[in-house]
Amino acid sequence: MIADEGTMAHLMALSQKGDKNAYTVLLSEASNWLQRYFRRKVPDAQLDDMVQEVLLAIHKKRASYDATRPFQPWMAAIARYRWVDHLRKVYRAQEDALEDNDAFEDSDEEAVLARISLDRLFVHLSEKQAEVIELVKIEGHSIRDAARACGQTESAVKVNIHRGLKKLSALIEKAE
Amino acid sequence: MNRINQDLIEQMASELQPVRPLKTSEGLLLVALATLVTVLLIELFDGLRAGILQGQSSAFFMIANGLLLVLGIASATSVVTMASPRVGNRHDAPKWTMAMAAVLPIAALITLAAQQSGADMLGDPYGITCLLAALSASSITGFALLFWLKRGAPVSLNAAGLHLGVAAGALGSAAYGLACPIDGIVHLGIFHVAPVIVAGLIGRLIVPRLLRW
Repeated sequence: MIADEGTMAHLMALSQKGDKNAYTVLLSEASNWLQRYFRRKVPDAQLDDMVQEVLLAIHKKRASYDATRPFQPWMAAIARYRWVDHLRKVYRAQEDALEDNDAFEDSDEEAVLARISLDRLFVHLSEKQAEVIELVKIEGHSIRDAARACGQTESAVKVNIHRGLKKLSALIEKAE
Repeated sequence: MNRINQDLIEQMASELQPVRPLKTSEGLLLVALATLVTVLLIELFDGLRAGILQGQSSAFFMIANGLLLVLGIASATSVVTMASPRVGNRHDAPKWTMAMAAVLPIAALITLAAQQSGADMLGDPYGITCLLAALSASSITGFALLFWLKRGAPVSLNAAGLHLGVAAGALGSAAYGLACPIDGIVHLGIFHVAPVIVAGLIGRLIVPRLLRW
């Protein structure tokens, strides 16, 4: 079972004072919490990397936690920030690959799971933006295939991905 | 939990050092001090206008600088809270205060149009001076807010950049407004609001790159 909000907030307050035992427990609990948080947003193969990235961000930015406020919404904001950053990196890598004329392989089962949970955040995007981000970023299709599948030009697909990611990055602190 | 995560946690715990948590009140105090230093420097180099507290300035002077001050405080507060992110945070206050301050240039333009004297604005001998001086005056507050955000973990980078620029511009313009000898609505509504727009644009375009982490 993962520690509750009050326990995590208390552990973080102790950690800010330098309590190493409290910090070890907190990070272990945070790791479990993040595993669950990302499970359906990130393919299994990338899950551990994503969790580690957020744990490092928590460590680096621990002074930004205000002990008078809840802990989990703070950790969730950092997790979302790193996740959107991760999506951007994937997109850049895909664009580079496209320039090399490398086609993407079909998505695996983990990517499908990611798509299901991303749908909840996509309510803020337009239908076209959500559609192409799902096709290209979550399912791993090429820009060309996505354009063909959704009846948009390749330029429109790129523009919609770019605008969709920009919108997602502006929604990080927005409560669902 | 897997072995890699466990190793990482043990390593981070072994390196743990106490940290001083960011407090909103300290961030606001930093902004207040930066603004105070700005006013003191303006007094030193330019001299504040006399008779403000004796009511010798126009109502436009009070209203314009008051609106700029409120805009600056709202935007600066938003920036300070952005250093401690949280899902559920709202940063709406600057939007409403920006709309409120937009009354000033609108009133100035309506006045200009009614007087059919647009050329007067171009011939305003203090206009560009006020614009540049207010922009210079916004730099101390701007750097103070940037320093604060760099210490924190801002996650809404574009909004942070815009609000930082608007806050610095509005507080800088309000501070320099205390030295400006002109208190007509056209001058105040255009040349004292323009620094806010310029600083906001600079903040929106440059600051997000400096904040990325």
